[in-house]
Amino acid sequence: MSKGLHKVAGVVGVGDTDWRADYAAQRKGEPARFDGIGLASLAFKRALADSGLKRDDIDGLIVGPTTPYERMGEVLGLDTRWGGQADAMLGVIQACMAIKSGLAEVVALVYGNNQRSGKVNYGGSNAAGGQSFLSYVYHAPWGFTSQGALYAMMFQRYMEETGLTSAQLGQVAVAQREAASLNPGAVMQERITTQDYLDSRFVCEPLHLFDYCLINDGGVALIIAEAERAKSIRPDPVMIHGVGRYDLNSGATSLEPRLTDYYLPAQQKVAEQVFNMAGVGPEDMSSAQVYDSFSCHIPLALEGYGYCPPGGAGQFLEEGHHRLGGRLPVNTSGGHLSESYMQGWAHQVEAVRQLRGQCGARQVPGCNYVHYSSDVAGKAVSIIYGR
Amino acid sequence: MGKSIPIQALTDLPMWQSIEEGALKLQFCSDCDTCRYPPAPICPSCLSMDSEWRPVTGEGTVMSWVIFHRKYFDDFPPPYNAMAVRLDEGPIIVTNLLDPVPGSSLIGRRIKLEYVDHDGRKQHGARLKEAD
Ligand SMILES: [Zn+2]
Repeated sequence: MSKGLHKVAGVVGVGDTDWRADYAAQRKGEPARFDGIGLASLAFKRALADSGLKRDDIDGLIVGPTTPYERMGEVLGLDTRWGGQADAMLGVIQACMAIKSGLAEVVALVYGNNQRSGKVNYGGSNAAGGQSFLSYVYHAPWGFTSQGALYAMMFQRYMEETGLTSAQLGQVAVAQREAASLNPGAVMQERITTQDYLDSRFVCEPLHLFDYCLINDGGVALIIAEAERAKSIRPDPVMIHGVGRYDLNSGATSLEPRLTDYYLPAQQKVAEQVFNMAGVGPEDMSSAQVYDSFSCHIPLALEGYGYCPPGGAGQFLEEGHHRLGGRLPVNTSGGHLSESYMQGWAHQVEAVRQLRGQCGARQVPGCNYVHYSSDVAGKAVSIIYGR
Repeated sequence: MGKSIPIQALTDLPMWQSIEEGALKLQFCSDCDTCRYPPAPICPSCLSMDSEWRPVTGEGTVMSWVIFHRKYFDDFPPPYNAMAVRLDEGPIIVTNLLDPVPGSSLIGRRIKLEYVDHDGRKQHGARLKEAD
């Protein structure tokens, strides 16, 4: 059987921007230093420096969805033989596909988002994508808007069905803030207690403020190279051991796959694909990085990928297995809730740094494999990183 | 901030019109009777492109609900609720509970749609079939 994209490529460079400092400056009323393209450019320079490569070594380019592809390539002076526009998870997969097919050898992935200084709305009458995202078109006349509300609707039913409590869900925010307190780059570093969580205001009940991601400016870049080339670039490339994807499109607008089984079948299909390709299982993972626009992504992923049985996430969280020092530390940087909301891009960087052993006080000891997963509106994606 | 405005497109005009007339109609496949919601040019079940619009009973069962505490629209001052209801005809729609939100769970409760004036347009809302 084909090993698919198993160890076809590795990450040789990562870069990000000063989101904590930028956030603090903007809170003081200072103007933003960069727009989205500027943020992506800064991250790219840092990733290039981290890799030790020269700009002209790059022959493929992936640009995140928040900046235009051609302009991004233009400002970076990158003429490439292959390119495309993709989100974080599909960007990594597409880079591996291009490398496997010989269309590129060294791919730069760049992302920049000035969502805070640019006042991007994720709900309401001018929500990003609101004219084309059908869940908004068909539900906004009844005041139902925002990604948070979609997940609140989903999780209300999940909580009743499984008995998971607010205090148990709150363990996600508490643990990720604890991890962020050990991450000098994280935007939010002040620890919170379960009581702080329960006392925080609702945004869309049953979800509290602390269940929601931050909105901050930032950029992220990765450089992914063909396996042999990666080993010649640096002694410790972080290899991509497996990828998987499954989309639940049927009934998506009417919330059918959210409300009937919480995307579980999609995640289970991806689990089979990604763990088979990587040749390892959930018990081999040292850490998980889970796309967390909202805290409730974490219990759904824990169940979907077999870290606990369906319906068992509440107990898993209550017992603290997702915390640093636990069986499966999750979102060890603080994630979208506490580090930086980079739409999954910074999660890839954290996976790489954990595997390199560069994470200081939040380092997971003996880190061998890191599982990245996302379920964004029914599209389940996973990547397993290893040495 | 702005108001909530229904965005109408070619395939769903009859639906918005039926709401304005106070009796929700949905689109059913002429060949296999599958309900297409949101309305669509083709049946996701049998790929037939023929369809007809029929009124629904307006009765259904609550799948889930939320309460908004943040303001998103000028015409929806918080707190306000939104519910996902599975209509007896099959599809899940979003509407508002017109009764006070009870302290107990709404999931599984039976509802019937009513039509109310909302900021110059008519739209559906739901009443619990058995009073709380
Ligand atoms: Zn049909």
